Amino acid sequence: MGDQPTFTLHIDQNKYLPIDGREVHAILTINSTGTVTTESATPAEAAEVIIIDTSGSMSGGKIREARAAAATAVQTLRDGVHVAVIAGTDRARVVYPNGPQLVRASAATRAEAQRAIGKLSAGGGTSIGQWLQLAAQMLSAHPNAIRHAILMTDGQNNERADVFAAALARCEGAFVCDSLGVGDDWVPAELRKVAEALLGTFDFVRNQGDLADFFRNLTQTSMSKTVAELVMRVWVPQTATLKWVKQVSPTLLDLTGKRTDVNPLTGDYPTGSWGAEDREYHLCVEVPPGQIGSEIRAGWVKLLRPDTQEVFASGNVLAQWTDDLAQSTRINGKVAHYTGQAELHELIQDGLSARAAGDVDTATARLAKAKQLAVDSGREDTARLLDKVVEVDPASGTARLRKNVDKADAIELDTGSVRTSKLRKNGEGS
Amino acid sequence: MGETAVPKTEVRCPVCEAPVLAGDSFCEACGHPLGAPTCTSCGAPAVDADGYCERCGLRQPTGRDHAELELDGGTAGVTDRGLRRSRNEDAMALLATGTQTVVVVCDGVGSSPRADEASAAAVETASAALARGVSTEEAFGLASRAVGKLATSVDDAPACTYVSAVVEGGRITLAWAGDSRAYWLSTGPRPTKTDPSADTQPVATDPPTVTRPVEAEASTDTRPVGVVPAAAIRPAVTGQVVGTQLTEDDAAPTGEITAWLGADYGDVRPHVRVLEPETPGLLLVCSDGLWRYLDGYTFPSTGSPLDMARAMLRHALDSGGQDNVTIVLIPLGDAHG
Ligand SMILES: [Zn+2]
Ligand SMILES: [Zn+2]
Repeated sequence: MGDQPTFTLHIDQNKYLPIDGREVHAILTINSTGTVTTESATPAEAAEVIIIDTSGSMSGGKIREARAAAATAVQTLRDGVHVAVIAGTDRARVVYPNGPQLVRASAATRAEAQRAIGKLSAGGGTSIGQWLQLAAQMLSAHPNAIRHAILMTDGQNNERADVFAAALARCEGAFVCDSLGVGDDWVPAELRKVAEALLGTFDFVRNQGDLADFFRNLTQTSMSKTVAELVMRVWVPQTATLKWVKQVSPTLLDLTGKRTDVNPLTGDYPTGSWGAEDREYHLCVEVPPGQIGSEIRAGWVKLLRPDTQEVFASGNVLAQWTDDLAQSTRINGKVAHYTGQAELHELIQDGLSARAAGDVDTATARLAKAKQLAVDSGREDTARLLDKVVEVDPASGTARLRKNVDKADAIELDTGSVRTSKLRKNGEGS
Repeated sequence: MGETAVPKTEVRCPVCEAPVLAGDSFCEACGHPLGAPTCTSCGAPAVDADGYCERCGLRQPTGRDHAELELDGGTAGVTDRGLRRSRNEDAMALLATGTQTVVVVCDGVGSSPRADEASAAAVETASAALARGVSTEEAFGLASRAVGKLATSVDDAPACTYVSAVVEGGRITLAWAGDSRAYWLSTGPRPTKTDPSADTQPVATDPPTVTRPVEAEASTDTRPVGVVPAAAIRPAVTGQVVGTQLTEDDAAPTGEITAWLGADYGDVRPHVRVLEPETPGLLLVCSDGLWRYLDGYTFPSTGSPLDMARAMLRHALDSGGQDNVTIVLIPLGDAHG
């Protein structure tokens, strides 16, 4: 196991509960060094599928940028990585290689792939679910590899919602997918569904000239992963309920519904593949009433490899009842910070939905409150975007929605709301 | 003879509830060891190596959270975390040498750091010294120095109270500092020659004549020692067992203690008192976790000293269990005829 990265798991919480306290909150910080510690060790196998939207709306400058970006991604792949390129319209087509199997990257195959990408042209509809299912099918030949896809689109998905949802469900656990939306005609909610189902990120490429840089960064990040698939195994007491498990940093990702039962007290939550990185998770456990002074383990968390059952890190979430208010009312800074970040995300999403539905009062109230929270938690970029959507009079505090909002600003605000800031040492967001 | 069908009681894993076979050491479904210790709360044989129950999560009481000791001859002690403190910072030691019974009870001062270490060091040092024949005052001094050594600075000085009792023949030698106490619990009839009112007014607030100070004034201490002032003596009961406080707290009227063992106190000296009860009874040595609940309390009058100590603990817990509780009972005379 010398080629495995080192993981540490740190738990931040206030374990003290008042006499009637039932909810235990904890922030789990998992750090992975990602370093390969022996010389003979090679990084885990990787398999990468690049999915390019070639629907009709991509014609013109966009398809040129997309070709250049896909070529950059292929160029970034290290030797030996399994690769394929899919062109997506109302159906999915493998444009490289000439068959349903991925090929190993080499100078020769990279050049072939780039020639194939250079011939891509635009025309047809958009069926994102089909593209993903073809990727899942091809990647299934590499069950032990770090399986990843990059999806790029510029338009709205033409599939029925239930068809799209079923396609995503079939792809869950098959690979991690990072998505990019280009232009201002795509729908953040659709790529958010892809990110949530496939444990990836989604991002807005506001300037299509930046597309190649986005592809290069996503490919490099994917290449840096060294551990294929880890799960977070969480035990709670028989009489307790695990209310939620959420990734809260670097982005918000609710894992609660992704549970696989291990036994009645224990469940596994997927975390995808890992490189050198920090992630944070928020757990909430509802515990039965306890006696003053008694301490329980309210949660037992292990980061493990499901195929070998090897545990990389573990920790305890505790609860202890006290009648000392000084102890039970102390607020853990990290729990408060990420509770605030989740609230900010909800306010932005609710506000934008209300705005789209024409509910001006709700939109104004939510977005104005979000702006204050963004300022307070050090989210300057988010506050700046909110300022383009909602206007708050500094003297009176009166808020009103701005007219003539740039569509790209609204998309950027919508897309970026899942990103969270970290808690600074002095207790303020950054 | 035909085979008899043995009804199989279904055995299930305490953690995952999968059926398991009697005799298996591990649950095949979840790998939980099946011979694990039993949880004090939910009863599942599921306590893991870290001390947590794998079914209900409760951290099991550790050795100090609740401990009981019983010596040949009946001397018994219980110490308990109580209901409101996260750990037990009281400590007790009970030893029987050939002719002596040695008891030391210390109560970690809650406002000091590592108070549990202070009380543990004090009872260990003092009881060992007393058992090898060191004088009461010297044993106190050794305990005081042992506690003092735990400090890394005046601001990091573990501290505790102290009460020791050495019983030899019918004679009790007490030494104390702080607010841990000793009581005499008289179980026998009072001799009319020393207490004419005993038969008719067993509960009066009269000075107790049931105990008799011996050579207490011989102490060379600069601190007050000797006979407990009449005002401080409050018979706690009215039943068959009459309790009389033998020690005098080092405490301000507000309750804060005014003497303790610890590097931030300096040269603490003990009160010393020697007495020879004339009636059978029990010497009670305890921490404030018990005595704060003794007003109006009827001491138990039956059972072994251990039974009685447990009953007193139950009373302290039922009354709120605000603090750690330590109770030691030493029978003297014909207390348990
Ligand atoms: Zn089991
Ligand atoms: Zn239990």
